[in-house]
Amino acid sequence: MIARSLLQLLVIIVLAPLLQGAMKLLRARLQGRPGSSALQPYRDLAKLCRKESILPDGVSPIAVAAPGIALGVALTFAGALPIAVPGIPPLGEIVALVLLLALSRFTLGLAALDSRSTFAGMAASREQTVASLVEPTLLLALLGAATLGRGTQLSSLLHLPFGLAGLLALGAFFLVILAETARVPIDNQETHYELTMIHEGLSLEFSGWQLAFVQAASYVRQLSFLLLAGLLLPGGTVWTVAAWAVVLAMAIAVVETLFAKMRLFEIPQLLASAFVLAAASIMLRLLGATL
Amino acid sequence: MTLRSFGVGATWAVSLVAAYLAFVAIEHGPATLASISAVLPALAFDVGVTPLAAPFLALLAILGAAVGAWCLRCDRPVDAALIAGFVATMLLVLVARSVFAFVLAWEMMSLVSAFLVAANHGRRSVRRATFVYLAVAQSGALCILVALLLLANHASGATFSDIAKSAASIPAGTRTAVFLLALIGFGSKAGLLPLHFWLPRAHPVAPPGASALLSGAMLKVALYGLCVIAFELAAPAPAAWGIVLVVLGTISAIGGVLYALVDHDLKRLLAYHSVENVGIITIGIGVALLARSSGAMALAALALIAALFHAINHGLFKSLLFMGAGIVAKTQGTVDLERLGGLWGRLKWTAPFFLIGCAAIVALPPLNGFVSEWLTFQGLIGGFALSDPTTRLVLLGATAGLALTGGLAAACFVKVFGVAFLGRSRRPEKSHSSETEQERFDGATFAQAVLAACCVVFGLVPALAVVSLARVAAATLGAPMIAGVTASPLASLPVLPIALIALPAAGALACLVLAARLGLRRVPTWTCGSPVTPAAQYTATAFSKPLRMIFAFILQPEHRRLVESGPSPWFPARIVYHIESHDVIDEGARWLGALALRAARRSRALQSGSLRLYLAYAVAALVLVVALARR
Repeated sequence: MIARSLLQLLVIIVLAPLLQGAMKLLRARLQGRPGSSALQPYRDLAKLCRKESILPDGVSPIAVAAPGIALGVALTFAGALPIAVPGIPPLGEIVALVLLLALSRFTLGLAALDSRSTFAGMAASREQTVASLVEPTLLLALLGAATLGRGTQLSSLLHLPFGLAGLLALGAFFLVILAETARVPIDNQETHYELTMIHEGLSLEFSGWQLAFVQAASYVRQLSFLLLAGLLLPGGTVWTVAAWAVVLAMAIAVVETLFAKMRLFEIPQLLASAFVLAAASIMLRLLGATL
Repeated sequence: MTLRSFGVGATWAVSLVAAYLAFVAIEHGPATLASISAVLPALAFDVGVTPLAAPFLALLAILGAAVGAWCLRCDRPVDAALIAGFVATMLLVLVARSVFAFVLAWEMMSLVSAFLVAANHGRRSVRRATFVYLAVAQSGALCILVALLLLANHASGATFSDIAKSAASIPAGTRTAVFLLALIGFGSKAGLLPLHFWLPRAHPVAPPGASALLSGAMLKVALYGLCVIAFELAAPAPAAWGIVLVVLGTISAIGGVLYALVDHDLKRLLAYHSVENVGIITIGIGVALLARSSGAMALAALALIAALFHAINHGLFKSLLFMGAGIVAKTQGTVDLERLGGLWGRLKWTAPFFLIGCAAIVALPPLNGFVSEWLTFQGLIGGFALSDPTTRLVLLGATAGLALTGGLAAACFVKVFGVAFLGRSRRPEKSHSSETEQERFDGATFAQAVLAACCVVFGLVPALAVVSLARVAAATLGAPMIAGVTASPLASLPVLPIALIALPAAGALACLVLAARLGLRRVPTWTCGSPVTPAAQYTATAFSKPLRMIFAFILQPEHRRLVESGPSPWFPARIVYHIESHDVIDEGARWLGALALRAARRSRALQSGSLRLYLAYAVAALVLVVALARR
């Protein structure tokens, strides 16, 4: 079992940059641009690892260690998914994972404020704002199985009856993914204008291998979130989950092409509607047994 | 022997007693220490320990030890002595087992703590805070007294064991009245919304050691009182009590963290976070009552464990944070976040301890706050299986509210630590000269080290506390060791924090090693070519702005911008930006206070100063009492 979960982790690590590249390529094609190769993220990571890393004067060890913590959190998240194995019991617990994700945001936010840069501070503020609004939705969207008394392990999501409640939860979770993986209309990964950055702004002062850590963490997180969405969809085998993840990744590329980035203060409305979807889904399940 | 060493010694002695009593209560169950009923049965003075008091006694023991060490160096000698008295009176409340003993101890606790709040009575705001505190404390004590008298009136005696024996037969109306009075009395002392308004005024103005005890211990003593009423004296509590507590707890949690988010006075911010955490503990108590009333004993035990553990944990990390804030105030002369910055390099002991406190209060794994908040979530989610649909929806709302609270608290403490301790100092360079000397390891630092170590140990090895708490919960809920308690989700607890933190810790270590091997070049921050100044850093006001705007409908922020025009309208000489958030509850409290003062002014007519009139009053009261007693 340990071997299989390690294998799962390894596959996610290896494929995460490819997914990022493929999404970027698809988005470019949809927008009528040739785009860069789907393998570009691997080259970027390799290049960053060879480059020197620099940090602002006088920063604390928190800023030195933050990229490692972010990557460690992302890897724990990826390893805890019940895909190749039925889930490692203590790790695959929904509430614990949601609280763990806060750890990486917390340290990256501190590192950003430590860097003394206005833009990084701004990004930290916005990331925390979006994250605090997303957290209730993220939790409720994943608690569908708990309402049926099946506990709060991620593996309990497998073989959950889908139906209307499942559809609503998926809708909510899709919006959560857009927020958590820094996608249009909530954020824009490819902006070159610091004032509009949320997630990218956090890593402005990182470079070299430190930046490679932060980016790898983002890629792994992204793939993990998509796989988690695959668990919410019907199927439940390794291949269906992976297929759903690819379908959702393509959907995100389409959404990024169709919509423009929202103004910062319109985002809460979008996240509020995501919360309403998640709450409606879980209320359907909660009352389904008694009504 | 100086006053200071007397105070410290007495505090430590009381802590030792508290630790011993906690041990006795957990190992041997309920025990009566003394029972004096010589004068009148109504004035029976019973002292004893119960398992329910044990976690609070243990917390008091740890905090007493830490604050005692703190007082070796910090706070005035008279404060050290008062703190010893404060700890002793809290101990007395926890071991009081009769109405008379409890009310007496409770009043003493309120009075001694009022002296601590009034420590800096030279300032008008401090006197005002003390007045508000005493007004709330006395009104609350009155409610508690009436609630306990109602219970004693129904029972055959005035000791808690008498009351508990006849608890099952209390009429529904009395039971409701007792609950509402206890909720007002203990809830106001614990800082539950909407009766929290005294707390953010009183806690910050006390000396740091006293603030640590006020937030860390006294609020928990109030919650202990609520637990005693709900689980023992007026048990079994109907489900409605649980719902009320869960709803109030959720409102307190969200309200507390929102007001903390927009506050930039470090101590007041911490006080608002106490409101938040008391809310979280209350949610746990509420879920336990709900589960118990529908017979789900395993769930009730889980929720009660969560509440008790969070009470201990909050006591630990909040005292730690208040001590850190005390050091900041002492060394920097201010606790205004906008004027701090870059303390990491200058407070080499306090800064890492403060970071541990921040991570614990935000419930980050693997610290103690994470474990108890996780358990609270498990209690709430476990309640989804309860049969009543209203209950389920309330618990769903509380789950979402608790998740929102967690997110907002994380935002708040990124702000606190990032702005105050990281980055560069925001104060003019010339004021730094006196601070070049490094912080030394002394009593104050030792106190923080103890508390920080407890936060880490209770996080990594939660079984240390949870095993005992499970016994407490089983004894309190009136069930022999409940089998369900040892089943999920508690079963995964011993490994969970370590499993979660293993890879992030490895990653952090890898980064530190890589940085040492490969070297990190240090360069000035890139500020788009302009000179690097501390003013370029993001401020606390700016950091909290998005959330302040999103929650403007609650916070009602008020902006004032003052522009002093310079030679040209486009280049003002100076811009002053001031933002203030009004606590909506404050307005109501002010109105109530004005009403009470007006009533007091009217009743002044009774006080003529004539001795004969007073004697007439006394005779009239005596006649009235005799008439009532004969009826």
